[in-house]
Amino acid sequence: MNDKPISAARGWTRRRVLGTAASSLAIAAVGSFPMPAIAQSKKLTYWGGLIFSDDANKLLTDTINAWGAANGVATEVVMINQNETVQKVSAAVSSNTMPDALDLGLDLLLLLSRQDQFITLDDLYKKIGDAQGGWFEGTDRATDTTADAGGRTGIPFGVNGNLLLRRKDLLEPAGFTDAPKTWDELVAQAVAVNKSPVSGLGLALSNVGDANVQVNVLQSYGGRIADDAGKKVTIKSEETRTYLTWLKDAWDKGIFPPGNTTWDGAGDNQAYLSGQAAFIANTGSVGIAAKKDDPELYDGSAFSPLPAGPKGTISPITPQTRAITKNSGAQDEAKALLEHLAQPEFMNAYFNVAIYGPVLKNQEQLSAFDGTNPILAGLLNLAKAGTAPAYPDVYNAAWADLSSNFIIPKMCQRVVVDGWDFDKAMDEAQTQGQIIYDKY
Amino acid sequence: MSLAADPSTRPSRRRRLPTGVRAKLFAYALVAPVVLLIIGLVAYPFFFAIYVSFTDQVVGSVGKFIGFANFVYLSKSATFTAAIWNTVIIVLVSDGLKLLIGLGLALLVHQAIPGRGIFRSFLMLPWAMPAFVAFLTWRVLYQPIGGGINLVLTGTGIYPHVVDWLGQRQTAMGSVIAASVWRGFPFWFISILAALQSVPKDLYEAAHIDGANAWKRFWVVTVPGIRQVVIVTTLLSSIWTANGFEHVWLLTAGGPSDATMVFPVLAYFGMQTQRVGEAAAVSVAMLPILAILVIFATSLMMRDED
Repeated sequence: MNDKPISAARGWTRRRVLGTAASSLAIAAVGSFPMPAIAQSKKLTYWGGLIFSDDANKLLTDTINAWGAANGVATEVVMINQNETVQKVSAAVSSNTMPDALDLGLDLLLLLSRQDQFITLDDLYKKIGDAQGGWFEGTDRATDTTADAGGRTGIPFGVNGNLLLRRKDLLEPAGFTDAPKTWDELVAQAVAVNKSPVSGLGLALSNVGDANVQVNVLQSYGGRIADDAGKKVTIKSEETRTYLTWLKDAWDKGIFPPGNTTWDGAGDNQAYLSGQAAFIANTGSVGIAAKKDDPELYDGSAFSPLPAGPKGTISPITPQTRAITKNSGAQDEAKALLEHLAQPEFMNAYFNVAIYGPVLKNQEQLSAFDGTNPILAGLLNLAKAGTAPAYPDVYNAAWADLSSNFIIPKMCQRVVVDGWDFDKAMDEAQTQGQIIYDKY
Repeated sequence: MSLAADPSTRPSRRRRLPTGVRAKLFAYALVAPVVLLIIGLVAYPFFFAIYVSFTDQVVGSVGKFIGFANFVYLSKSATFTAAIWNTVIIVLVSDGLKLLIGLGLALLVHQAIPGRGIFRSFLMLPWAMPAFVAFLTWRVLYQPIGGGINLVLTGTGIYPHVVDWLGQRQTAMGSVIAASVWRGFPFWFISILAALQSVPKDLYEAAHIDGANAWKRFWVVTVPGIRQVVIVTTLLSSIWTANGFEHVWLLTAGGPSDATMVFPVLAYFGMQTQRVGEAAAVSVAMLPILAILVIFATSLMMRDED
């Protein structure tokens, strides 16, 4: 029997120990780093925005892969749930593993443009615009990142925003053949059809993006988030009080569905699709789902612009864009792909299955917008007449932060859930809003 | 064979370490990979998160050091204040209820009752179910229209009105806690049951001979016997509950009106606003609460050992 310690039996020396440790470190270090760029040359990774329509997601993936096959570029398309884009991009930026190109909303485009994450695409933007009759004015202004990034970093491919979706099969028998023109008319119509299990007004008042439509209502009553400089919060005002009076009055009439103060992002969709809401404000995804799964509901539905308040209609467009990352090793290929994806043939097919309105003037002539599809007709109208993001407020980082913190929906919750008086609710929103604006 | 021809017999020019040192070095070499993993996967992210909480990092930037600015900002936020109290309430109430239910069921199943094996397995089902499925199911049960709970209440005439369980302040927190207790009590149940089975039967017999009734036997034999396990279970469960995200996110997303806002959901909202530094500050702000809990539980265990 060998009584020697293992180390002694195998001749462990200081040199050997250090050598083993160094080797282990080297193996661990090599294993933790990505492959060298040379091994990935001419491979283009694209992060597409996953949307409600499977057909649209498949069409985008297939089109990119077909383009890659035709042009000798290996493509990898990863569809990212739009609710998770921030987290995915955040991790990718930190680990330097951003894709070559990606779909993203305006907020993230502006933020990352300020961080110098994207290349400028002014030439491509102009080329696409010139070829297709120019860009719609609202899209053109909203997506101009020149002040933040020294040029345009995003190529818009679609706009969305809220349309008013209504159950005409319930409203017409009640005597309402036309869409409500004002928020007061909306409440009157909602009251007329508010009978269990149908709630009249399926607007979210929870901590989700859908509830930020209340900001638009507030603005249409003349309320403002901040002053014209975009610095001083001005939530507390007589106009906001008037808006809250409208909201409280509607709430007290019992026309909001139970649970709408804790809805998740799909709450209004589910309420409408399950026949529990007569009106909702939605981007059109609900219409597509109804068309596919419940044709009877779809036939009994109608789409119209958001109603107006005393100061007019506030119906902001939300442009979606495509961008190319600065660390991409295939920037030329990515530019060619983005130009390809802007071609009318693809976009016509895409618009038909997606939930976006047009961004280029010639796209109005596409068959997708010939008026036979009421959702797309509404989105065309939105693209042409919708208001700029945040209008009449200033669209800046503070605005985006305040929106993401749901300050206005929370003010609404204080009034309808906690029973706070208007002054107290406005005071809190004003204070919390100013704390956010003071950061910028 | 000449001496020069046999290398093994030649005096080595390499200086060999003493045997004890070599053994230690060998041991260190063996544990080094694990230590590296712990440093890489636990220590680095932990301390990096703390560092990030002191920066103004947003998505896409490394951020710069800003001291306590994130914490000062959070302290002014009504939502943050709500998150502190809600987290404390959820941890105290739900873990208290889990203890009572887990202990009661463990004592019951510890008895020789018919079919107790099946009963034990059945009681583990909530724990076995994925949290996502469990809490979405609870959300459906809580639905005001068509939800199971309201259907039962109105159908049986116990309560004739539809209750918006998750949508009003008076019931939202209780509803979240109920779902959380349902999902979490099996861990307490199985832990306490295991502890009960390790208590020597002799002690019960001795106490019985000494005239102790059931209640007395519970306090002088059972409680001391399971005390250590209960402390550890309390510690683990409290940490899990405080860090729990799904139960609040899937049921109320922190609403209505911050009535159920807790730290993890608030941190998630911080990430949604792309302000990584603030989100990290929310998570780091929770550390003192958990540290107090850990210190308290550890001191209890050490006192028992003494």
